Amino acid sequence: MSIRSEPLVGLARPPRPALSRSGWLDREAVFSWLMMAPPLLFLAGLVGYPLVYGILLSLQDRAVAKPGHFVGLRNFIADFHDPIFWRVAVNTVVYTVAATLLKMVGGLGLALAMNQHFRVKNLVRALLLLPFIVPTVLSTVAWMWMLDPAFSVVNRLLIGIGVSPPGPSWLGNPALAMFSIIMINTWRGLPFYGITLLGGLQTVPPELYEAATIDGASGWHRFRFVTLPLLKPIILIVTLFSVIFTFADFQLVYVLTHGGPNNATNLFATYAFDLSMGAGQLGLGASVALAMLPALGLLIVALTLYMRKS
Amino acid sequence: MHVTSRRGFLKIATAGAAGAALSPALGRAAGKTVTLLHESSFIPPFDEYMKNMLAPAYEKETGVKIVYEIISVGSSPARIASISETGTGADITMNLTLIPFLYDEKYADVGDIAEEMGKEQGGWYPAAREMAIVNGKWKAIPFCSIGQLMNWRSDWFAEVGFKEFPGTWDELYEAGKKLKTKGHPFGFELGHGFGDNHGWLYPLLWSYGAHEVAEDGKTVTIDSDETARAVDFARKFFQDTMFEDVLGWTDPSNNKAWMAEQISCTNNAESILWFAKQNFPEIGEVTQQSLNPAGPKGRFHFLGAISHSIFNFSPQEKEAHDFLRWLSKPKQLGAWYDVAVSYYQPLLHAYDNASMWNVEPRNIPYRDALGTSHLPGWPAPPDRRLAESVAKYVVVDMFAKACAGASTKEVIKSAESQLRGIYKTA
Repeated sequence: MSIRSEPLVGLARPPRPALSRSGWLDREAVFSWLMMAPPLLFLAGLVGYPLVYGILLSLQDRAVAKPGHFVGLRNFIADFHDPIFWRVAVNTVVYTVAATLLKMVGGLGLALAMNQHFRVKNLVRALLLLPFIVPTVLSTVAWMWMLDPAFSVVNRLLIGIGVSPPGPSWLGNPALAMFSIIMINTWRGLPFYGITLLGGLQTVPPELYEAATIDGASGWHRFRFVTLPLLKPIILIVTLFSVIFTFADFQLVYVLTHGGPNNATNLFATYAFDLSMGAGQLGLGASVALAMLPALGLLIVALTLYMRKS
Repeated sequence: MHVTSRRGFLKIATAGAAGAALSPALGRAAGKTVTLLHESSFIPPFDEYMKNMLAPAYEKETGVKIVYEIISVGSSPARIASISETGTGADITMNLTLIPFLYDEKYADVGDIAEEMGKEQGGWYPAAREMAIVNGKWKAIPFCSIGQLMNWRSDWFAEVGFKEFPGTWDELYEAGKKLKTKGHPFGFELGHGFGDNHGWLYPLLWSYGAHEVAEDGKTVTIDSDETARAVDFARKFFQDTMFEDVLGWTDPSNNKAWMAEQISCTNNAESILWFAKQNFPEIGEVTQQSLNPAGPKGRFHFLGAISHSIFNFSPQEKEAHDFLRWLSKPKQLGAWYDVAVSYYQPLLHAYDNASMWNVEPRNIPYRDALGTSHLPGWPAPPDRRLAESVAKYVVVDMFAKACAGASTKEVIKSAESQLRGIYKTA
């Protein structure tokens, strides 16, 4: 005797209606993925692919226009023994830290000033964006003229106040050349900080200031205990962006000094470019460019964790 | 109100994307076209002549359209890299200095055209073979050298007793000392430019009998008494005749300083005289040009090599080859040289006495320098390692560090260690 179980009619799943194309597209999950697909493909293609390709290149002895062979970490070991690499690493850190700090302090000051009420406020705010709007190459060429010993408006001013002619060699002296590129980067990046922080300042409810004033808080105390804590998340985000942009800066140095004098202003991006395009060593160039990644990655993780915590 | 349905939106988006993807393919299918990639010339009529005269003439003769694609100065290495890596883009490219040695595997053999040109047009200067033959094959057709020579102010030199340009580096140093005292310093690039630094530092090194790597392409020879003497000379030459700014100069800097009457002597291509004559005639009048000074071991010059190559993956390789052969004939080539009035110095002896040399006699030294011109790194065979040394500014920075105050021993040791790393020798 065999026992056969019969399906319970009442519990059986109703047959699924055949999905028409229109019905399929009307399903939220499908449509939302379809909408997400272009940006995801865009990110994978333009961010993910170059990054993975860069990592693969850095592990090969890949010369331009030639097939490469896997060499493991040999390129990174070569970087480790390359004195220019270490000079470039120090330069990049000094450049990034100094320019970011200057932009942070200056940008905060700028935002506080722009948050005051004065005539032609909107015009001034718009004009402040100019350094950020002008293409970097163009503004750098203008700086090149301003720092040129023969035409330097800066040196003429200095000579006017008693410095002996021809004045400082802004791009010929290694220390001054680094100082110059830091100042120009700060000049260019300040509006980004200023305008973003100004946006943050305007979201601070005025009642908080009123309450603090009633409690007897001075101007400094209002800034320290009301403004700064509320601005902190925005400061961190802007700093994060600024560090990434500054660390990977290329155009300014490439146009102004091309890393000279004696590599005093050579940064990771300019050195990697010279190795890849000038010397045709794509693998070595990629390894120099990727040397930025761990430091930047750690910084991004640290800042993100800090933001989440606070 | 009309509301687009989701399906409608997707249809439009898909159709748009497909249209965008297909349109370039449709454009490419029409007619035979050969694209020639060139960096923009400092002499504008040169580019105009190709665009308005040579390209239309060739199209009329053969039906093949020549697209002359001009890119900015200094951008050709990156562009050639992207064409080689992707296998798409121009069919023919202009090369600077060491480029044929980096891309030889992507370049077609053009030996038939080069040998024919040599036979028909008086023979090549040795420099032509030095710049274009890779592993025994012509991978480029030499076009010219853009020489780097001495540009000097005849009026100021005369004031300190020099009617002629000094014949040796030591004599030039004496003139420079006097001129600096009179407020007319020299200005030679010691920074990270493309050409004006190598343009005088390699010839200076060679003229003292020194080289970075030997002819075998293996032995690093930079640590020598000859190098030490060249470095010692460069240091005093910088300190007593120049000013600090030259350490950070890039290629436009000496031109600006020249037009601002800030310097009395520099090392540059003949464009400096061309520009002065066009825009500052009074400066142009007193601008003289001469061969580099001689050192204890002779007189040398920098080979500012320009050549043309065909990408071997080009679907129009045959058409490109035919066009270069046509361009290489004296009727076309000579006319193209002529419009630039000797800015591009031909490496074929047939042009040694061409009419372009009569236009401006002050340019004649650029022709006379061709016989003693070499690629950077000479006598080491040009290759990828040499390109790395140049890209890392090993020789330039060796001199620049000494000029900035480092000891001769220190800068030579540092250069030697870098070269050993590049050439992977213990």
